[in-house]
Amino acid sequence: MSASFERLIDGIIDALQSHVVPNSDDDFVRGQVFSAIYALNGLKLAADWKAGPLLEQVRLQDDTFAAVRRLADGMIHPEIPTTPRVQGDTSDATAIEALRDDGDRQLGQLLLWASGEGARAANRDAATEIERLLRRAICDQLKIELATTPKSMLQQIAGGEREGGVQG
Amino acid sequence: MPEVAKRSDDVPGAAPNLVHPAVVNDDAVRTALAQHMSRISGSRTEITSFGRKSSGFSWTTYAFVARSALGGDHKLILRVGPPSGLFAPYSVLPQVHALQALAGSGVPVPALVSSAQDGAEIGFPFFICEHIEGDVPAPWAASEIDPNHKRAIARQFIEILASLHRINPGATPFASQAQGADRAEQRAIAGWRASLARPTARYYPLLDWGGRWLHNNCPQPPCRTIVHGDYRIGNFIEHSGRIAAILDWELTHLGDPHEDLAWAMMPTFNARSRKLYGVLERAEVIDLYQRASGIVVSDRSLAFYEAYALYQAAAIQMCAVRAFEVDRFNDMRLAVMASQMPSIVRAFERALEAAA
Repeated sequence: MSASFERLIDGIIDALQSHVVPNSDDDFVRGQVFSAIYALNGLKLAADWKAGPLLEQVRLQDDTFAAVRRLADGMIHPEIPTTPRVQGDTSDATAIEALRDDGDRQLGQLLLWASGEGARAANRDAATEIERLLRRAICDQLKIELATTPKSMLQQIAGGEREGGVQG
Repeated sequence: MPEVAKRSDDVPGAAPNLVHPAVVNDDAVRTALAQHMSRISGSRTEITSFGRKSSGFSWTTYAFVARSALGGDHKLILRVGPPSGLFAPYSVLPQVHALQALAGSGVPVPALVSSAQDGAEIGFPFFICEHIEGDVPAPWAASEIDPNHKRAIARQFIEILASLHRINPGATPFASQAQGADRAEQRAIAGWRASLARPTARYYPLLDWGGRWLHNNCPQPPCRTIVHGDYRIGNFIEHSGRIAAILDWELTHLGDPHEDLAWAMMPTFNARSRKLYGVLERAEVIDLYQRASGIVVSDRSLAFYEAYALYQAAAIQMCAVRAFEVDRFNDMRLAVMASQMPSIVRAFERALEAAA
């Protein structure tokens, strides 16, 4: 489990204990909240739900690295990792997340290189194609994250409203 | 109640020694606030109707009534900068300078009552200003407010922005920001890049690359004005069809006026509409602004600042994530802001394509 996930659960529990419980005079509501806190603590111990989408991102990154390696053939470029980086079935979300984050940094270095003057001077067409490929692939990776992101509740969150308005 | 704003250390009396608690405790703030109000008013003051408001993601905001035998009841607003908040460490100076410089100008602001940067008495940097009656419109969602009413408010909103940008910053405390070898606009971009590059922040390749592009392609401003920095629907109070006060001056700085215009037109702050407040077409906004400000809007600069707005929004989200995860600031609203990152970064990439 990632540190962020654990921190999120701790934050939810703190918000419920510090702000919801003291402001509720209803025994039933408090019982519900304490039950939710108990369930969240259990979730913190058992959760391992992030591996799938993270693995999908790592595999997309690997495909991108392989494509950049082909396009950059003969050019001096930042390090491109050997792929695939994950062998077989892996369910360790923390390890996969670390791989994803390392991959992001390497993609970033490649993007800065491809859009920089050095790569343009060496091979303008190849550099432009690599830049386009990287931008598209990084956006595709963000789409994977978006698929596991709930719909925005900014109005309710910002204003503390019970119902919220019509979501655009 | 004093008629002019007072800095805490302007007022004689026994201000307590500096104490800097790790977290903002409402009861402790209320007790300290009563002592502070009693000291600056010279009369024992009781704090009633004290409550934390949900508005704003950065400063912690309280509404309260200061009740004293001499002065009667005064509805006031207290804002404190929490030690591990969104933009910690906090400075009251941008807000204090703005409220002081704009009092009596064409830009309506709440009157400043008191402020302290050093954290004495309340325990954190704070300022107190008058409470303004009215409503704060929600920027995030469509509403059922009469479109004609919204049009009138949107037009005022732009006219007030033009008034702000017409002010000669040389005659205000912001003039000191004009010093230095770097351009103010590039300094701001560099600041957000440094914030995003902090080792504890998650790395987003498009933000790294886009930050460099913004820094290298920042246009020359047509003039350098006071920039609000967070000028949007939701940061003003409306009362009886008039904008009664512009709020949240913490990001105020000297810079390119296109920055405020681009920020105000972000769909995020207009119920995801390309129209300002969901009613005013972009061309109408630009035309109105140009006539009211005398500043010619450049399409290129506006496109640049629309991309910069998204970059800045992403950096702010990452500040929120850091405040929650690293600095352990317990506000769940900050925790969930991280979930907006993928959509903001994708929108930034598209905006950059349009600006390039």
